[in-house]
Amino acid sequence: MTLPRTADVVIVGAGIGGLAAARELAARGVRRIVVLERDYPGSGATGRNVARIRRMQLTEGLCRVAVACQDKYERMGAELRSNVLFYRLGYAWILYDQGEVERMRDIVAMHARLGIRSALLSPADTLHHLPVFEGGEPVAGSVLSDDAIVHHDAVVWAHLDHLHRHDVTIRPHTRVTGIERDDSRVRAVLTDGGRIETPVVLNAAGGWSGELNRMAGVRMPNRPHRREVLVTAPLRRSIEAAVTFYRPSEGWFNQTLRGEVVMGAVDPEEPPGVDQRSSWAFLQRTAALMTRKAPALRDVTVIRQWAGMYDITPDHLPIIGPTAQLAGWWQALGWSGRGMLLAPYLAELLAEHIVSGDAPSMLRQFLPDRFPPTGDDEAPIETDYYSRYGSGSTSGSTAGSTSATVPPASTVTSSGKTTSKPGA
Amino acid sequence: MAARRLLSHADSAPNPPRRRVRFTFDGREYDGVEGEPLAVAMLAADRLILSRSFRFHRPRGLMCDTGQCGWCECEVDGRPSVRSCQVPVRDGLVARSEHAWPTVERDLLGWLDLGSRWIPPTFYHHRFLRPRGLRKRYLDVIRGFGGRGRLALGRQAGEARGRVVQELETDVLVVGGGSSGSAAADAAAERGASVVLVEAVRDRARPSRPAVRVLDGAAAIGWYEGVVLALDDSTSWTIRAGSVIAATGSYELVPSVRGADRPGVIGARRVLDLVTSHFVLPGERALLIGEPGDLPDVGAALVEAGATVIGPVPAASLRRVLGRRRVTGATIDIDGLRRREAVDLVVFGDRTPNLDLPLAAGAAVESRDGVLVPVLDAAGRTTVTNLSVVGSAMGTATARDSGPVPTGRTLVCFCEDVHAEEIHAQVGAGYRDPELVKRRTGALTGPCQGKYCAQAFARTMADAGVPTDGLPTARPPLRPVRLGDLVPSGDSDER
Repeated sequence: MTLPRTADVVIVGAGIGGLAAARELAARGVRRIVVLERDYPGSGATGRNVARIRRMQLTEGLCRVAVACQDKYERMGAELRSNVLFYRLGYAWILYDQGEVERMRDIVAMHARLGIRSALLSPADTLHHLPVFEGGEPVAGSVLSDDAIVHHDAVVWAHLDHLHRHDVTIRPHTRVTGIERDDSRVRAVLTDGGRIETPVVLNAAGGWSGELNRMAGVRMPNRPHRREVLVTAPLRRSIEAAVTFYRPSEGWFNQTLRGEVVMGAVDPEEPPGVDQRSSWAFLQRTAALMTRKAPALRDVTVIRQWAGMYDITPDHLPIIGPTAQLAGWWQALGWSGRGMLLAPYLAELLAEHIVSGDAPSMLRQFLPDRFPPTGDDEAPIETDYYSRYGSGSTSGSTAGSTSATVPPASTVTSSGKTTSKPGA
Repeated sequence: MAARRLLSHADSAPNPPRRRVRFTFDGREYDGVEGEPLAVAMLAADRLILSRSFRFHRPRGLMCDTGQCGWCECEVDGRPSVRSCQVPVRDGLVARSEHAWPTVERDLLGWLDLGSRWIPPTFYHHRFLRPRGLRKRYLDVIRGFGGRGRLALGRQAGEARGRVVQELETDVLVVGGGSSGSAAADAAAERGASVVLVEAVRDRARPSRPAVRVLDGAAAIGWYEGVVLALDDSTSWTIRAGSVIAATGSYELVPSVRGADRPGVIGARRVLDLVTSHFVLPGERALLIGEPGDLPDVGAALVEAGATVIGPVPAASLRRVLGRRRVTGATIDIDGLRRREAVDLVVFGDRTPNLDLPLAAGAAVESRDGVLVPVLDAAGRTTVTNLSVVGSAMGTATARDSGPVPTGRTLVCFCEDVHAEEIHAQVGAGYRDPELVKRRTGALTGPCQGKYCAQAFARTMADAGVPTDGLPTARPPLRPVRLGDLVPSGDSDER
């Protein structure tokens, strides 16, 4: 199979970001889309996460986006004609500190304003709803919502089948080896399977997106950080929510539809870098944390562990859109652990932007040029999402600085030129 | 025809005479001999079905001799999914079957198996979307079919008996203390190297050199970039070795024919152990399958115990194992003639090398006469520089005639009940990457993690036109581990 020599859009990465973008571009009449994947589709973070699709977020800005994202998932099965196993398992933050409980009152009120069905539960109600925590570290309460999980692989296959029907070229096991550009704009993508000339490249390479940006001479502040997961032998349904706790240490677990328990304890000291290796320290850390909080879990059987990457940005919001640094070079990266949730909907906005040349208003908070191109590439990123919002502001930082960072119109239109014929 | 205890043997059992104990399984009382595995005591009572398979509720019972197949899992004293071949019976033990309704013996959900043809692994892809209002209900129902063991909720955090974390550095680490492993440890010690030997089965490792440090009862559970994690009852060992020698032996090669997972199809070494160590006769009329190997000994022991023995016949001649809830017969082709033998026990002798460590380390494997073996140089080194392999893990003693390639409705993966034709269907639909076939069929993802299906998976993929060297990435741990056993002792909340 030889690669096409030219394309209208080349998407690098066949994870959820790249596949969803391909779907939305094709839906807007863009032809000759080529998706390149270094391994197999869904081989990175997309195939390694636990696909929690939650509206319940800590800030209003993110909640508003997440509501649209969850709606997108609810429609996805019917739209793509393939079930992605969207299931309202429920979602809970377990709180261990009275201060956290107080802080959550405002957040639950904010959820109610946005139509997100969440509730603050007392310690007794928490144990009643989630008896798995009985006998463990005393809880101070919880926030419970009716949020959902999907099956990550089913999401990938639904997209693959759909893209196949729409003649989108997907090339697995093809590595990008270089980017051809002139002073201002991108010209071609070089791969181990040949050169593809294209006016538009979308970097959707997840944990490898920093490497790809460097090939193109583009600077972005995102960094990959390893996150690990383990899964147990299946159990009868007994945990009626996907749970997360942020403090005093971060961890999470939930049951899949098959009954397996997936879980993980986060290492706050995890260094940045591309790393998908499993560690024994993770097993011990997770076992210690989970059995302390939920002693019933000590008898579950671990059958497998794996690792994937969070591609984290300084503000924990993804980087979506064009950049003034290089015309024709688009970004869909830095998902900061929320790619599964955000990508399908944000891909819709991104495709709109690529095709029309104008950024939809909901996309503005995610535009790449909110970060200065001269940023220090070595500066460490605070990986603790929760701490950023620890001060108690529910409006969050997401709406703050957007208007100033909308890129100059010229950048947008030049890159949109060849693909701006919707329905053509 | 039935399995039974050989009373005459038990009476002549060595001193001290073993005590009778009483335990319950699904509420019924059974007799056992103290110390014998629960699964063996159940077999002695002619209770062959110990569990049901995850998807289609096929009956399963004692099969392997390594504790790795998982076909004998049941709930023991409130702990879910315990391998009953590894649990000694004692007075008052309470066992329950899992994942069956109303009972594991007569599980009505077993009828699902008759419809398995219409329930492929991808059955949900284009279903359960309409009407919209029922989408959650559909998944609630599907969820109800999932699960296996029961989580004992409402426990108190008492036991907090974590493992002491110990780090070890050594020149040579030998994993597996059988004859090859013990010999390799001795040889390394003779050269003056510091040697650590881990062996999961107590009192099995017998190196002759006192310089060899034996971690008795420690099971290697993971390979992490050359660091091996091993667990015993009290300690979590993190072992950094200059070189690692895998002396991990072999697994049973379950015949690739329909019905090969029926209770009453048992590996040769397990049968020998049953008859000669536990004085339990697993069947009255046995068919022996495979290359001679262990089979002549097994045949002699069975005959001495009063059973009728047929064979050994080559693995390639076995066509099908008959019977629904237990073995009632087998069809074999001898010299072009198809014969049906009425037997209640099928003993198979063929084995495949244990590839757990080489695969975990990312070492290359290759297909030799249809059997996957590690790629080794003349010195026994794998393609991972500090890992070498000795003994039957090299694949030297494995079957040359590996029997028929799985086809059609023959099971490839037993944990997930994946049929050969389902793998062919995926490859045919363009999902040629082994990782995608694994994800789309569930093959290799069950509790045995491919130990009992990697060989059949690779052969089926090759048969479908995908080269055998492409097994999906192996993931740790090497064997299932109870979460509580991974807790380091004296652990405090890390902040």
